[in-house]
Amino acid sequence: MNATAITPSEANSGMNVTVAAQMTGADILKLRKKRGILIWSLVLAIVPLLILYIAKAILHSSNPAEHGPAGGVPGFTDGVRLLALFFGTLAAVLVGAEAGAGDISAGVFRDLVVTGRDRAALFASRVPAALVVMWSIAIVGYAIILLASFLFAGSLPTPSLALVLNGLGFVLLADGIVCVLAVAFGSLTGSKPATIIAMIAWQIVASPILASIGTLGSAREWLFSQAIIHFSPVHFDGARGETIAMGLGMALVVLIVWLAVFLALGAWRTRTMDA
Amino acid sequence: MPANDHPLSSAPGAGPAIQTSGLTKRFGSRAAIDNVDLHVPRGSAFGFLGPNGAGKTTMIRMLLGLTHASAGTMSLLGRPVPAERAQALSRVGAIVEEPRFHPQLSGRENLRIVAAARGPATRDRITPALRRVGLSERADEKVKKYSLGMRQRLGVARCLLADPLLLILDEPTNGLDPGGIQEFREMIRSMVEEEGRTIFISSHLLDEVEKICDHAAIVDRGKIITQGAISELAEGSTQHELIVGIDDPERALSVLAGCEWARQSQRSDEGLRVVLADIGDMSAAAGAAAINTALVDAGLAVSRLEPVRQSLEKRFLEVTSRLSDSTVEEVKA
Repeated sequence: MNATAITPSEANSGMNVTVAAQMTGADILKLRKKRGILIWSLVLAIVPLLILYIAKAILHSSNPAEHGPAGGVPGFTDGVRLLALFFGTLAAVLVGAEAGAGDISAGVFRDLVVTGRDRAALFASRVPAALVVMWSIAIVGYAIILLASFLFAGSLPTPSLALVLNGLGFVLLADGIVCVLAVAFGSLTGSKPATIIAMIAWQIVASPILASIGTLGSAREWLFSQAIIHFSPVHFDGARGETIAMGLGMALVVLIVWLAVFLALGAWRTRTMDA
Repeated sequence: MPANDHPLSSAPGAGPAIQTSGLTKRFGSRAAIDNVDLHVPRGSAFGFLGPNGAGKTTMIRMLLGLTHASAGTMSLLGRPVPAERAQALSRVGAIVEEPRFHPQLSGRENLRIVAAARGPATRDRITPALRRVGLSERADEKVKKYSLGMRQRLGVARCLLADPLLLILDEPTNGLDPGGIQEFREMIRSMVEEEGRTIFISSHLLDEVEKICDHAAIVDRGKIITQGAISELAEGSTQHELIVGIDDPERALSVLAGCEWARQSQRSDEGLRVVLADIGDMSAAAGAAAINTALVDAGLAVSRLEPVRQSLEKRFLEVTSRLSDSTVEEVKA
């Protein structure tokens, strides 16, 4: 390997589709090989669903008069609720935190900066990579929901094709938004533990409590978890504390504002931090 | 081929490998790097020598855009930084502090990560780079199983992905065993002498810099004290010393005690070691001749009169302690 003179074409002059795809592929590789995160994310996305359907199936078989079949539309609704609003979002936090703060935690962020590649590009490639991994996990979970909904439907109606597609879209939207927020927050803090703790505390504790405080009135519409529920194709009673009614436009605005603010903060921190 | 005759060293319009002017980095009121003018010629192994806390890593971090400069200008490979940082860094490889990797990935996969950021052409350099540092056999093992020496070599391989005209290495032999240091030294020298690359090494190990580098700068408390070719730096010492072979050392000591040209004399294995007095514009050669005359006039037989070759270490200690002295005097004043 002999050094040659510098040429303009070799300079990291800008992004193109090939470079962006390679960088995203590299970020997917990092996440894919982080076995601990991957296994725990799969466990969170899948095991609660298995427990749900197995428990319901046992109850139904032991007392069919008291407990309906595990599947059908009711079983589908329960599964979607678990995957989109509870355990799937926990998995999304794990994946997003790793994608956002993994390079900084491992101490390799500076080696990526030294390549001359724009820091904004380094940040941007984390987002699609985290989404690809998270959505792959969510799809596995959703497949279990569908399998159980049809397999254990018994006398109950099964989800229509439209409901199946809408349900998939909702799961991907809900888990995807939490995942992207976790990527951005991880990039902002540079710390995986801090990101995971803060995001889960917000999702599991703070957000439902805030939603149930009536005196907050319409301010509760600004909780992104409430905006996400608006897009659900199935009805959740008390899914995350109290469910706040809002219009489609408001729900879209809330989600866009959350994403825009967090992505801007994550990108800003990535661009300005001492590496 | 000497490094400076390599075609890369005289590439048209290339400029020096590193040039800084008035470069300053402040943390609050403290200047970690203070008005530094640095000139690193192409095709050289350049040592950036200084004690711990002198500002070496801060300087490297500024050059690489890992932290912002407070004042001053800098260029890498003739391109101003940060204005043309991306273009400059496209042919720069660097290890800052210890090389870090994703432990869950193999050596090859870690290189793929960096290659993706550098651009499509870089991926083809992964295998040659691993071969160049002798890691081909273990490239597919996870990095968490690598020894420190292997990580250092993988760090160099990561640098080579840029096909670098300039390598910036921060304390590269830290933690290596003697065999690893020797291997590393040979690799660096071959990169300079056979491949025409420029290597910028920061180190607090004087011996290391003296063995690897042909140019150096001595830095202390954020200031460049002196810089130039290693031989010039060592000889730039203001202290001249002689080894004197003599038939009667005891009597010679009493003769030299009354000689104005000898500032300090003491016995040694070779006979005597005499530190010459700093008298006006007198040269070291004239001082040695005066010492010889004094001893011969006293009836002593002088069998050897040899100037002591100044080491970089001695020069380093001299200039850094002088700085300490002046600082103390300033404080007293």
